[in-house]
Amino acid sequence: MKINPRTTLTSLFYEIAGLQLELRLSPTVNVDMLLPSFTGFRINVANDRIPAATVTLLESEPPEENEMGVLRSDISVVWGDNFRFYERENTFVTQIKHPVKEMQWVMESTRDFKESVIYGNAKDPRMGELVSWLLMVVFGQAGLQYQLILIHASVIAHRAEHGVAFLGKSGTGKSTHSKLWLQHIPETALLNDDNPAVRIEDNDQVFIYGTPWSGKTPCYKNSKVELKAFVRLEQAPYNRFTKQENMHSLIAVLPSCTAIRWNKTLFQTMTNTLSRIVGKVMVGQLECLPDAQAAYMSSKAVFGSKAAGHTGEN
Amino acid sequence: MEGIGIFYYFYAMRTLRQDLVLRKVGDDYIMVDPGQGMVDLSKVHTLNETAAWLWENLTGKDVTVERVAGLLCERFEVTQERATSDALALIREFEVAGLFEA
Repeated sequence: MKINPRTTLTSLFYEIAGLQLELRLSPTVNVDMLLPSFTGFRINVANDRIPAATVTLLESEPPEENEMGVLRSDISVVWGDNFRFYERENTFVTQIKHPVKEMQWVMESTRDFKESVIYGNAKDPRMGELVSWLLMVVFGQAGLQYQLILIHASVIAHRAEHGVAFLGKSGTGKSTHSKLWLQHIPETALLNDDNPAVRIEDNDQVFIYGTPWSGKTPCYKNSKVELKAFVRLEQAPYNRFTKQENMHSLIAVLPSCTAIRWNKTLFQTMTNTLSRIVGKVMVGQLECLPDAQAAYMSSKAVFGSKAAGHTGEN
Repeated sequence: MEGIGIFYYFYAMRTLRQDLVLRKVGDDYIMVDPGQGMVDLSKVHTLNETAAWLWENLTGKDVTVERVAGLLCERFEVTQERATSDALALIREFEVAGLFEA
Protein backbone atom coordinates (compact mmCIF):
# COMPACT_ATOMS: atom_id res chain seq x y z
CA MET A 1 0.00 0.00 0.00
CA LYS A 2 1.59 3.23 -1.14
CA ILE A 3 0.54 6.45 0.49
CA ASN A 4 0.43 9.53 -1.63
CA PRO A 5 2.14 12.11 0.55
CA ARG A 6 0.56 15.09 -1.16
CA THR A 7 -2.98 14.28 -0.16
CA THR A 8 -2.64 12.59 3.20
CA LEU A 9 -0.09 14.49 5.27
CA THR A 10 -1.07 16.80 8.09
CA SER A 11 1.04 19.55 9.59
CA LEU A 12 1.87 19.88 13.26
CA PHE A 13 3.62 22.89 14.70
CA TYR A 14 6.06 23.18 17.56
CA GLU A 15 7.63 26.24 19.07
CA ILE A 16 11.09 25.66 20.51
CA ALA A 17 13.21 28.54 21.81
CA GLY A 18 10.85 30.92 20.02
CA LEU A 19 11.31 29.21 16.64
CA GLN A 20 8.63 27.30 14.83
CA LEU A 21 9.21 23.81 13.58
CA GLU A 22 6.68 22.29 11.20
CA LEU A 23 6.34 18.52 11.14
CA ARG A 24 4.36 17.01 8.26
CA LEU A 25 3.32 13.41 8.69
CA SER A 26 0.57 10.90 8.19
CA PRO A 27 -2.53 11.63 10.33
CA THR A 28 -2.55 7.98 11.42
CA VAL A 29 0.52 8.58 13.58
CA ASN A 30 -0.20 9.37 17.22
CA VAL A 31 2.37 12.08 17.55
CA ASP A 32 2.14 12.57 21.31
CA MET A 33 2.87 8.86 21.74
CA LEU A 34 5.66 9.01 19.19
CA LEU A 35 7.30 12.19 20.50
CA PRO A 36 6.27 12.56 24.15
CA SER A 37 9.08 15.02 24.94
CA PHE A 38 7.66 17.41 22.31
CA THR A 39 4.16 17.57 23.80
CA GLY A 40 4.86 20.68 25.86
CA PHE A 41 6.12 22.48 22.77
CA ARG A 42 3.06 21.93 20.55
CA ILE A 43 1.26 24.98 19.28
CA ASN A 44 -2.14 24.71 17.69
CA VAL A 45 -1.81 26.59 14.47
CA ALA A 46 0.99 28.33 12.74
CA ASN A 47 0.71 32.05 13.26
CA ASP A 48 1.84 34.40 10.54
CA ARG A 49 5.49 33.54 11.02
CA ILE A 50 7.23 31.25 8.58
CA PRO A 51 8.54 28.07 10.24
CA ALA A 52 12.31 28.04 10.78
CA ALA A 53 12.29 24.49 9.45
CA THR A 54 9.86 22.07 7.87
CA VAL A 55 10.36 18.33 8.23
CA THR A 56 8.28 15.81 6.27
CA LEU A 57 8.08 12.27 7.55
CA LEU A 58 7.44 9.70 4.85
CA GLU A 59 6.80 6.08 5.68
CA SER A 60 8.64 4.79 2.67
CA GLU A 61 12.07 3.86 1.47
CA PRO A 62 14.29 6.67 0.23
CA PRO A 63 14.54 7.14 -3.51
CA GLU A 64 17.31 5.05 -5.03
CA GLU A 65 20.48 7.04 -5.60
CA ASN A 66 23.52 5.96 -7.52
CA GLU A 67 25.74 7.35 -4.83
CA MET A 68 25.17 8.79 -1.37
CA GLY A 69 27.54 11.72 -1.91
CA VAL A 70 30.76 12.66 -0.13
CA LEU A 71 31.02 10.96 3.24
CA ARG A 72 31.60 13.77 5.75
CA SER A 73 31.24 12.03 9.09
CA ASP A 74 30.65 8.64 10.63
CA ILE A 75 31.07 9.73 14.23
CA SER A 76 28.05 9.78 16.51
CA VAL A 77 27.92 9.16 20.24
CA VAL A 78 24.25 8.17 20.02
CA TRP A 79 24.31 5.87 16.97
CA GLY A 80 27.87 4.55 17.05
CA ASP A 81 28.92 2.77 13.87
CA ASN A 82 25.48 3.11 12.29
CA PHE A 83 25.68 6.82 11.65
CA ARG A 84 26.66 8.36 8.30
CA PHE A 85 26.54 11.97 7.16
CA TYR A 86 26.94 12.75 3.47
CA GLU A 87 27.20 15.93 1.46
CA ARG A 88 25.58 15.99 -1.97
CA GLU A 89 25.57 18.80 -4.48
CA ASN A 90 22.63 20.67 -2.96
CA THR A 91 21.72 18.63 0.08
CA PHE A 92 23.01 16.92 3.19
CA VAL A 93 22.04 13.32 3.94
CA THR A 94 21.87 11.89 7.46
CA GLN A 95 21.68 8.12 7.56
CA ILE A 96 21.11 5.68 10.41
CA LYS A 97 22.14 2.34 9.04
CA HIS A 98 20.73 -1.05 9.97
CA PRO A 99 21.64 -4.56 8.78
CA VAL A 100 18.01 -4.97 7.72
CA LYS A 101 17.42 -2.58 4.83
CA GLU A 102 13.82 -1.83 5.83
CA MET A 103 15.04 -0.58 9.19
CA GLN A 104 17.32 2.06 7.69
CA TRP A 105 16.46 5.69 8.26
CA VAL A 106 17.51 8.45 5.90
CA MET A 107 17.00 12.19 6.09
CA GLU A 108 17.75 14.49 3.20
CA SER A 109 18.01 18.20 4.01
CA THR A 110 18.57 21.35 2.01
CA ARG A 111 21.93 22.97 2.70
CA ASP A 112 20.37 25.43 5.17
CA PHE A 113 18.26 22.65 6.80
CA LYS A 114 15.07 24.64 6.25
CA GLU A 115 13.48 21.69 4.42
CA SER A 116 14.06 18.05 5.25
CA VAL A 117 12.45 14.75 4.33
CA ILE A 118 12.78 11.74 6.61
CA TYR A 119 12.30 8.28 5.11
CA GLY A 120 11.64 5.47 7.55
CA ASN A 121 9.54 2.52 8.57
CA ALA A 122 6.68 3.25 10.96
CA LYS A 123 6.91 -0.33 12.30
CA ASP A 124 10.40 0.35 13.64
CA PRO A 125 10.17 0.44 17.45
CA ARG A 126 12.97 3.05 17.48
CA MET A 127 10.87 5.45 15.39
CA GLY A 128 10.22 7.99 18.16
CA GLU A 129 13.83 8.09 19.26
CA LEU A 130 15.02 8.38 15.65
CA VAL A 131 12.61 11.12 14.64
CA SER A 132 13.36 13.10 17.81
CA TRP A 133 17.09 12.89 17.15
CA LEU A 134 16.72 13.84 13.47
CA LEU A 135 14.57 16.83 14.45
CA MET A 136 17.38 17.87 16.78
CA VAL A 137 19.86 17.72 13.90
CA VAL A 138 17.54 19.94 11.85
CA PHE A 139 16.80 22.40 14.64
CA GLY A 140 20.48 22.78 15.55
CA GLN A 141 21.35 23.86 12.00
CA ALA A 142 18.19 25.73 10.98
CA GLY A 143 18.29 27.74 14.22
CA LEU A 144 21.70 29.21 13.43
CA GLN A 145 20.16 31.81 11.11
CA TYR A 146 18.06 33.07 14.02
CA GLN A 147 21.04 33.74 16.34
CA LEU A 148 20.29 30.47 18.08
CA ILE A 149 22.82 27.80 18.99
CA LEU A 150 21.95 24.35 20.27
CA ILE A 151 24.59 23.45 22.81
CA HIS A 152 25.68 20.33 24.63
CA ALA A 153 25.25 21.27 28.27
CA SER A 154 23.45 20.70 31.53
CA VAL A 155 21.66 23.85 32.67
CA ILE A 156 20.27 25.01 35.96
CA ALA A 157 17.89 27.90 36.49
CA HIS A 158 18.41 30.01 39.59
CA ARG A 159 15.30 31.67 41.07
CA ALA A 160 13.57 30.89 37.74
CA GLU A 161 15.41 33.95 36.49
CA HIS A 162 19.03 33.21 35.63
CA GLY A 163 20.64 30.25 33.91
CA VAL A 164 24.07 28.66 34.24
CA ALA A 165 25.20 26.17 31.57
CA PHE A 166 27.73 23.50 32.47
CA LEU A 167 29.85 22.33 29.56
CA GLY A 168 32.33 19.51 29.16
CA LYS A 169 33.07 16.34 27.29
CA SER A 170 30.76 13.37 27.82
CA GLY A 171 31.49 11.80 31.16
CA THR A 172 33.02 14.94 32.70
CA GLY A 173 30.19 15.31 35.18
CA LYS A 174 27.90 18.02 33.79
CA SER A 175 24.77 16.33 35.14
CA THR A 176 26.53 15.57 38.42
CA HIS A 177 27.49 19.21 38.86
CA SER A 178 23.89 20.30 38.14
CA LYS A 179 22.66 17.83 40.77
CA LEU A 180 25.11 19.29 43.28
CA TRP A 181 23.60 22.72 42.67
CA LEU A 182 20.08 21.33 43.17
CA GLN A 183 21.16 19.81 46.48
CA HIS A 184 23.27 22.60 47.91
CA ILE A 185 22.34 25.92 46.29
CA PRO A 186 18.94 27.30 47.29
CA GLU A 187 16.29 28.11 44.67
CA THR A 188 17.78 26.14 41.80
CA ALA A 189 16.00 23.87 39.34
CA LEU A 190 17.14 21.84 36.36
CA LEU A 191 16.21 23.49 33.04
CA ASN A 192 17.70 20.91 30.67
CA ASP A 193 20.29 18.16 31.07
CA ASP A 194 21.75 17.72 27.59
CA ASN A 195 20.75 20.00 24.70
CA PRO A 196 19.48 23.45 25.62
CA ALA A 197 19.32 26.29 23.09
CA VAL A 198 21.07 29.63 23.57
CA ARG A 199 19.79 32.63 21.71
CA ILE A 200 20.49 36.35 21.46
CA GLU A 201 17.21 38.20 21.29
CA ASP A 202 16.48 41.47 19.55
CA ASN A 203 17.15 43.49 22.70
CA ASP A 204 20.66 41.96 22.80
CA GLN A 205 19.86 39.86 25.86
CA VAL A 206 21.07 36.26 25.91
CA PHE A 207 18.57 33.59 26.93
CA ILE A 208 18.86 29.88 27.44
CA TYR A 209 15.89 27.66 26.64
CA GLY A 210 14.68 24.22 27.57
CA THR A 211 14.07 21.94 24.56
CA PRO A 212 12.50 18.52 23.83
CA TRP A 213 16.03 17.05 23.91
CA SER A 214 17.54 16.37 27.30
CA GLY A 215 19.62 13.21 26.99
CA LYS A 216 18.82 10.50 29.52
CA THR A 217 17.09 12.88 31.95
CA PRO A 218 13.40 13.46 31.17
CA CYS A 219 13.44 17.24 31.64
CA TYR A 220 11.63 18.86 28.73
CA LYS A 221 10.80 22.31 29.98
CA ASN A 222 9.34 24.84 27.61
CA SER A 223 10.78 27.87 29.37
CA LYS A 224 13.67 30.29 29.24
CA VAL A 225 15.89 32.20 31.63
CA GLU A 226 18.54 34.83 31.06
CA LEU A 227 21.90 33.15 30.63
CA LYS A 228 24.41 34.34 33.24
CA ALA A 229 27.36 32.04 32.59
CA PHE A 230 28.94 29.14 30.77
CA VAL A 231 31.11 27.00 33.02
CA ARG A 232 33.39 24.44 31.37
CA LEU A 233 34.01 21.55 33.73
CA GLU A 234 37.13 19.50 34.03
CA GLN A 235 37.73 16.73 36.53
CA ALA A 236 40.52 17.49 38.98
CA PRO A 237 41.65 16.40 42.45
CA TYR A 238 40.78 19.91 43.71
CA ASN A 239 38.30 22.73 43.06
CA ARG A 240 39.39 25.81 41.18
CA PHE A 241 37.40 28.36 39.18
CA THR A 242 39.14 30.45 36.53
CA LYS A 243 37.37 33.18 34.60
CA GLN A 244 38.00 32.98 30.85
CA GLU A 245 38.40 36.23 28.95
CA ASN A 246 38.71 37.34 25.33
CA MET A 247 39.50 34.52 22.91
CA HIS A 248 39.71 32.00 25.76
CA SER A 249 36.01 32.55 26.44
CA LEU A 250 35.16 31.65 22.85
CA ILE A 251 37.48 28.65 22.82
CA ALA A 252 35.91 27.36 26.04
CA VAL A 253 32.39 27.36 24.58
CA LEU A 254 33.03 26.57 20.90
CA PRO A 255 33.47 22.76 21.24
CA SER A 256 30.01 22.49 22.87
CA CYS A 257 28.20 24.19 20.00
CA THR A 258 26.31 22.53 17.16
CA ALA A 259 27.15 23.59 13.61
CA ILE A 260 28.18 21.38 10.75
CA ARG A 261 31.67 22.21 9.58
CA TRP A 262 30.90 21.50 5.90
CA ASN A 263 28.54 24.39 5.36
CA LYS A 264 30.73 27.45 5.72
CA THR A 265 27.79 29.83 5.93
CA LEU A 266 26.19 27.97 8.82
CA PHE A 267 29.51 27.55 10.61
CA GLN A 268 30.45 31.23 10.30
CA THR A 269 26.95 32.27 11.37
CA MET A 270 27.36 30.14 14.48
CA THR A 271 30.78 31.63 15.24
CA ASN A 272 29.37 35.14 14.76
CA THR A 273 26.57 34.50 17.21
CA LEU A 274 28.91 32.86 19.69
CA SER A 275 31.37 35.78 19.52
CA ARG A 276 28.52 38.11 20.46
CA ILE A 277 27.27 35.81 23.22
CA VAL A 278 30.64 35.45 24.97
CA GLY A 279 30.89 39.23 24.97
CA LYS A 280 27.76 39.38 27.13
CA VAL A 281 27.90 36.26 29.29
CA MET A 282 30.50 35.20 31.84
CA VAL A 283 32.66 32.25 30.84
CA GLY A 284 34.60 30.23 33.38
CA GLN A 285 36.51 27.04 33.74
CA LEU A 286 35.92 24.88 36.79
CA GLU A 287 38.42 22.21 37.63
CA CYS A 288 36.46 20.25 40.16
CA LEU A 289 35.68 17.31 42.35
CA PRO A 290 32.12 15.94 42.42
CA ASP A 291 31.42 17.56 45.78
CA ALA A 292 29.34 20.30 47.41
CA GLN A 293 32.32 22.64 47.59
CA ALA A 294 32.53 22.63 43.78
CA ALA A 295 28.90 23.78 43.57
CA TYR A 296 29.51 26.52 46.16
CA MET A 297 32.54 27.65 44.24
CA SER A 298 30.81 27.92 40.85
CA SER A 299 27.68 29.54 42.31
CA LYS A 300 29.81 32.09 44.14
CA ALA A 301 31.77 32.86 40.98
CA VAL A 302 28.57 33.43 39.00
CA PHE A 303 26.19 35.00 41.53
CA GLY A 304 28.45 36.18 44.34
CA SER A 305 28.49 34.74 47.84
CA LYS A 306 24.82 35.42 48.67
CA ALA A 307 23.37 32.97 46.15
CA ALA A 308 25.30 30.07 47.59
CA GLY A 309 23.38 30.29 50.86
CA HIS A 310 24.89 30.35 54.33
CA THR A 311 26.90 27.17 53.82
CA GLY A 312 28.89 28.69 51.02
CA GLU A 313 30.13 31.67 52.96
CA ASN A 314 32.97 30.13 54.83
CA MET B 1 68.89 31.64 0.75
CA GLU B 2 67.30 34.94 1.72
CA GLY B 3 67.57 36.21 -1.82
CA ILE B 4 65.93 33.13 -3.26
CA GLY B 5 63.18 33.40 -0.64
CA ILE B 6 62.41 36.99 -1.54
CA PHE B 7 62.45 36.15 -5.19
CA TYR B 8 60.01 33.31 -4.68
CA TYR B 9 57.58 35.22 -2.49
CA PHE B 10 57.73 38.26 -4.68
CA TYR B 11 56.60 36.39 -7.75
CA ALA B 12 54.22 33.86 -6.28
CA MET B 13 50.57 34.92 -6.53
CA ARG B 14 48.73 34.27 -3.34
CA THR B 15 45.53 35.51 -1.77
CA LEU B 16 44.11 35.18 1.72
CA ARG B 17 41.55 32.46 2.25
CA GLN B 18 38.11 33.93 1.71
CA ASP B 19 36.38 31.45 3.99
CA LEU B 20 38.17 32.70 7.09
CA VAL B 21 36.44 35.50 8.93
CA LEU B 22 38.46 37.78 11.18
CA ARG B 23 36.66 38.55 14.42
CA LYS B 24 37.42 40.57 17.49
CA VAL B 25 36.55 38.73 20.68
CA GLY B 26 37.21 40.97 23.64
CA ASP B 27 40.74 42.21 23.06
CA ASP B 28 41.76 39.37 20.76
CA TYR B 29 41.62 38.94 17.01
CA ILE B 30 40.78 35.41 16.00
CA MET B 31 39.70 33.31 13.03
CA VAL B 32 37.92 30.01 13.50
CA ASP B 33 38.98 27.50 10.86
CA PRO B 34 36.53 24.59 10.69
CA GLY B 35 38.35 21.34 9.85
CA GLN B 36 36.87 19.67 6.77
CA GLY B 37 37.98 16.09 7.40
CA MET B 38 36.11 13.22 9.06
CA VAL B 39 37.76 13.94 12.38
CA ASP B 40 37.13 17.36 13.82
CA LEU B 41 40.45 19.18 13.68
CA SER B 42 39.04 22.67 13.84
CA LYS B 43 41.56 25.39 14.65
CA VAL B 44 41.45 28.87 16.09
CA HIS B 45 44.06 31.26 14.64
CA THR B 46 45.01 34.24 16.75
CA LEU B 47 46.39 37.41 15.23
CA ASN B 48 47.99 40.39 16.91
CA GLU B 49 46.72 43.86 16.10
CA THR B 50 49.18 44.45 13.27
CA ALA B 51 48.50 41.09 11.65
CA ALA B 52 44.76 41.72 11.94
CA TRP B 53 45.15 45.15 10.33
CA LEU B 54 47.21 43.61 7.55
CA TRP B 55 44.60 40.87 7.08
CA GLU B 56 41.89 43.47 6.56
CA ASN B 57 44.00 45.42 4.13
CA LEU B 58 45.15 42.41 2.16
CA THR B 59 41.76 40.76 1.74
CA GLY B 60 41.02 40.05 -1.92
CA LYS B 61 44.45 41.20 -3.09
CA ASP B 62 47.58 39.39 -4.21
CA VAL B 63 49.73 39.17 -1.12
CA THR B 64 53.26 40.07 -2.09
CA VAL B 65 56.26 41.06 0.01
CA GLU B 66 56.19 44.38 -1.76
CA ARG B 67 52.55 45.06 -0.87
CA VAL B 68 52.91 43.93 2.76
CA ALA B 69 56.10 45.96 3.20
CA GLY B 70 54.37 48.97 1.68
CA LEU B 71 51.53 48.66 4.20
CA LEU B 72 53.98 48.33 7.07
CA CYS B 73 55.84 51.47 5.94
CA GLU B 74 52.51 53.33 5.78
CA ARG B 75 51.58 52.42 9.32
CA PHE B 76 54.89 52.35 11.15
CA GLU B 77 58.05 54.39 10.99
CA VAL B 78 60.27 51.63 9.70
CA THR B 79 62.95 51.38 7.07
CA GLN B 80 62.19 49.72 3.76
CA GLU B 81 64.66 47.00 4.73
CA ARG B 82 63.05 46.21 8.05
CA ALA B 83 59.55 46.29 6.51
CA THR B 84 60.66 43.87 3.81
CA SER B 85 62.08 41.33 6.22
CA ASP B 86 59.00 41.61 8.47
CA ALA B 87 56.74 41.18 5.46
CA LEU B 88 58.62 38.07 4.44
CA ALA B 89 58.35 36.64 7.95
CA LEU B 90 54.63 37.34 8.05
CA ILE B 91 53.97 35.70 4.69
CA ARG B 92 55.92 32.64 5.78
CA GLU B 93 53.91 32.43 8.98
CA PHE B 94 50.62 32.75 7.11
CA GLU B 95 51.85 30.08 4.73
CA VAL B 96 52.67 27.65 7.55
CA ALA B 97 49.31 28.30 9.22
CA GLY B 98 47.54 27.56 5.92
CA LEU B 99 45.90 30.97 5.62
CA PHE B 100 46.33 31.34 1.84
CA GLU B 101 43.98 29.98 -0.79
CA ALA B 102 45.15 26.61 -2.04
